[in-house]
Amino acid sequence: MSQPLITADLLRRLEQLQLLARRRSKSNTRGERRSKARGQSVEFADHRNYVSGDDLRYLDWNLYGRLDKLFLKLYEEERELPVTIFLDCSESMAFGEPNKFHFARQLAAAIGYVALCGFDRVSVRTFPDSPAESAYRQSLLSVRGRKSSLQFFRNLAHLTAKGTADFNAALRRGALESRTTGVAVVLSDFLDPQGYEAGLTSLIGRGFQVNAVQILSPDEIAPTNFGDLRLIDAETGAQTEVTFGRYRMEQYQQMVENFRQKLREYCAGRGIGIFTASSADSLEQLLLKQLREAEVWG
Amino acid sequence: MNFLAPFAFLFAATLPVVIVFYMLKRRRTVRLVSSTILWQKFLAETQANAPFQKLRNNWLLILQLLMLALAVFALARPYFATTTKETGLVVVILDGSASMQARDESPSRFEAARKEALKLVDGLKDTDQMIVLLSAGNTVVRQSPTAEKSTLRRVLEECQPGDTPTRVEEAFKLAQTLAKNRAHVEVHFFSDGAIPAAENLSSIKLPVVYHQFGKRANNAGITAMDVRPHPEDASQRVVFASVFNASTNAQTVSAELRFNGQFIDSKVLNLPAREASSTVFAAEQKQSGTYTLKLKSDDDLAADNEASIISKMPRPVKVLLVSGGNRFLESAIRVLPNVELNTASQLLTGGKGFDIVVLDGVTPVTQPEVNTLAWKVATTNWFESWRTVENPDIVDWNANHPLMRFVTFDDVRVYSTLAVKAPKWGLVLVEAQQTPLVIAGEKGRQRLVWVGFDSLESQLPLRHSFIIFMANAMDWLNPQQTDASQFTLQAGNAFRQPLFENVATATVTTPKGDKRELKLGDQAKELIWSETYRVGLYKANYGTNETSFTVNLMDPAESDITPRSQVPVGAQGAVAATTSKRANLEYWRWFAMGALAVLMFEWWYYHRRTV
Repeated sequence: MSQPLITADLLRRLEQLQLLARRRSKSNTRGERRSKARGQSVEFADHRNYVSGDDLRYLDWNLYGRLDKLFLKLYEEERELPVTIFLDCSESMAFGEPNKFHFARQLAAAIGYVALCGFDRVSVRTFPDSPAESAYRQSLLSVRGRKSSLQFFRNLAHLTAKGTADFNAALRRGALESRTTGVAVVLSDFLDPQGYEAGLTSLIGRGFQVNAVQILSPDEIAPTNFGDLRLIDAETGAQTEVTFGRYRMEQYQQMVENFRQKLREYCAGRGIGIFTASSADSLEQLLLKQLREAEVWG
Repeated sequence: MNFLAPFAFLFAATLPVVIVFYMLKRRRTVRLVSSTILWQKFLAETQANAPFQKLRNNWLLILQLLMLALAVFALARPYFATTTKETGLVVVILDGSASMQARDESPSRFEAARKEALKLVDGLKDTDQMIVLLSAGNTVVRQSPTAEKSTLRRVLEECQPGDTPTRVEEAFKLAQTLAKNRAHVEVHFFSDGAIPAAENLSSIKLPVVYHQFGKRANNAGITAMDVRPHPEDASQRVVFASVFNASTNAQTVSAELRFNGQFIDSKVLNLPAREASSTVFAAEQKQSGTYTLKLKSDDDLAADNEASIISKMPRPVKVLLVSGGNRFLESAIRVLPNVELNTASQLLTGGKGFDIVVLDGVTPVTQPEVNTLAWKVATTNWFESWRTVENPDIVDWNANHPLMRFVTFDDVRVYSTLAVKAPKWGLVLVEAQQTPLVIAGEKGRQRLVWVGFDSLESQLPLRHSFIIFMANAMDWLNPQQTDASQFTLQAGNAFRQPLFENVATATVTTPKGDKRELKLGDQAKELIWSETYRVGLYKANYGTNETSFTVNLMDPAESDITPRSQVPVGAQGAVAATTSKRANLEYWRWFAMGALAVLMFEWWYYHRRTV
C-alpha cells in the first residue's frame, strides 16, 4: 500500500500509448474505437439509398445534384474496446523477491491505465475468489474512464495472493461471463498442475484477442536452495524430495527454458501474444519496449 | 590359498565405515516454495527413464572411475623395473641363547630382537629371499630361502629362546654355506653380543649387520658347581659353586642349598663387581640325590640363578687284574683307596661284573666289554697290525691329559714294546720315536688305556710316576666318573644313557612337568634325549628303570649379559651394531591408499550441503 504501483513518470509515458486491437470492437457502448456498426462519427463509411423516414441531415446533396438521386451518407460508429485482465491471485504468486504478485499488479495497473486513457472499458478478473476482498474485486470488474484510474489503482493495491487457483476453470468462466469480447491479458506464473492449455483455448474460442505474460521469480529461474531438500508446494501442500547443487543448475535452467518454450510455442500456434518475465525485470523495459515492439499497444 | 600381504586385510576395517555412511540418514532441509511443478518436471527429466542415458559430465562419476582405476592398479601389484642383477639373500641369525632372555629390554631381549626381525621382513623386497637361523646350543634352520613374508613372519613368531650357551660359530658357518654362489648376501645378526671367546668367527666372509639388544648387565649367576667326597670325612660331601657378578656394581646375594628339596644350608655371598666368587658347602649324604643351589637375586636373567647336580653314593671300584703275576702292578692297584681287586690268569667272560679290567700281557680269550687298561696286549679289535720294537726312544708325552697329571717319563727307559700305528679311537699320550707307547681313548662306550710295553720290561715301576699313573688310570676308567658327568649336562647337550635291555618306549619328564614319550625301537642300545633347552631336573623312565639328570646353564660367558656393541666377526675382527632400516619399495599400497582417499572425498563431495 505504501509503495505506489506505478510511478508518476511511468504514468505520464503510458498516457501516450493506446492499445492496438486487431479486430474491430464489438461493444455496444460508444467509445473511441472503430467498429463495424454505423452511427455518428466523422469517419465516412458508405452511401445507401434514401428510404422514407431517414434523417434528412445525412443526405448527400452533392450527389443528388450530380445524379438526381437521394443517397444517404453513412458514418462509422465508434465503440469502446473491452479490455479484460485475468490476474492470478493464487498463493504461488505471493513468492519471490521481488514479489511476483506485486509485479503482476503493476502490469495490470499499467495495462488498465492505458486502456482507461483510451476510453476503453477495463475489467480485472481475479482468481481464486477471496470473500474478504470481494468489494475490491467487484469494483474492478468494470472500470471506465480516466477519472476512475485512481480508484482502479487503489482497488488493485488492496488485492492479495492466497488460496489455490484452478487456472483453466477461472479463464473458462471469465470467457463465458464476458458479454463482449475484446482484448484479454492473462497475468500468471502458469504453474498449475492441470496445465494452462484449456483456459487459453476457451478465451481464444470466445473471440478474445489474448496476450499473456508469464511471471516467474528469480528464485524459480535460478534456485538458491541447495543440498538435500524437502520442498513443500505452497498451494497444494505436495512434497517433493530433491538433492540439488550447483552442478545441476544448468540442467534446471534448461528445464525452465523448455517449459517457457513450450508455452511460447503453444501461444504462437493460437495467435496469443506471449511474454515471459522475471519479477526482477524492469517494468519500463517490458511495458515500453517489449509490449510496444509486439504491437500490443502503440 | 595363501596371501602375500595378509596385513592388507586391515583395510577391511573400512567396510564398517562405508556401512555407517550408508546407515546415516540423509537430513533434508524443508523449504516452502511457490510451486513444485518445476521441480517435478526437473526430476522427471533427470531421472533415468531408459536403460541407458547420455553420459554426462559428473564429478562423482569421475571420482568413482578414478577410485576404481586406483584399486585396479593396486591389485595389479605395480613395480618399477630396475636393473637388478640377482635375487638378494638375507640371512637372519637369531640368537636364542639364555642371555637373550634378560629382561632389561621389554619384555625381553629376545622379544625385542624378534620385533626387529619382523620389521626386516616387512622391508624385504619382493625379489629378495630370507633364511631364518635360530642359534642357541646348536643352530636350527627354521626357514630355508623363501620370499613369502607370511611364512617368514610365522616362523619368526614360533622361534623361542632356550637356556643354552651361545654357539653362533655354527650358525655363521652354516650361513656361509647357504650363501655360497649367491652374489647379494646380507647377514643380519640379532644378538646381545655375549659370544664366548672360544667361538671363532674370523673366517666368516659375509657382510654382517649386527643388531644389538640389551641395555645393562644386572645379573649374578652360577657358573660352576661340583660335588665331591669330603677329603677328611667319607660320610660327607663337599658342594663347590662359583657365582659370577656381571654387574659393574658389587652386590650381595643369598645362596641356598637343598638336597632332594630339603634345605641344607644358606650363605650370603658378597660379589665384587664383574668378578666370580666361590663358595663351599659341606653336607652329610646318606643316599643318592640331587643338590640344588639357588641364588635369591632379582636380576635380569633367571636361567642361571639355579643349578643342580646329581650326587650318587660312592661304591668300591671292582678291578679284575688278568696277569701271569706282576707284584708291582698288583700292589699299585691294591694301595688305591676304594678299590676291590680280583686277579685271574685269563679273561674268559669279558669282564662282566667288574668295573675295570687290567690286562697284563695276557691276550684275552674274549674281548673285554668294560673299561680296560692293557699292558703289552694287542688285538685286532684295537689295531690293524703290530710288531715288536727294542729300546724305543721316548720323545714326548701329553701332560695335559687327566691320565698324565703329575706323571713324567723323563727318567723312564723301556726295553721292549709293541709298535702300532696310532688308531682313530685313541689319543697318543706317550710317544716314542718309533711308535706310540701309551694310547687312551673311547671305543664305542668303552674307555681304553693301552700301554705298549710290559711294566716289568721298563723302569716305570721303579718310578713314583707309576703309582700316580695307575691312580690316574683307575680314576679315569672308573665308570662312576663318567656317570657323574653323564647326569649333569650343560643346556643344549644331549643326554645319553646306555640300554641293557630291550625297551620300546621311554618317557622323559621335563622340569615343567611335561611328559614326552620317546620311541626307541627294539634294537636300540642307547637312550638319547637332545631337547635339553631348559635348565632343571629331568626324569627318564625306560622299562623298569628311572634315571634323573640335571641340565644347567653354567656358562660364564652367558652369565655375563653385558651388551656388546661389537661382535668379533670376519678377518677385521669386529662388526659394529647398526640401526639401519631397509626401505619399503612396494608401491601398490600407495595406490590402495589413494583409492581409499578418493572414496572418502567422493562421499564428502556427495554429501556436502552447498556445492
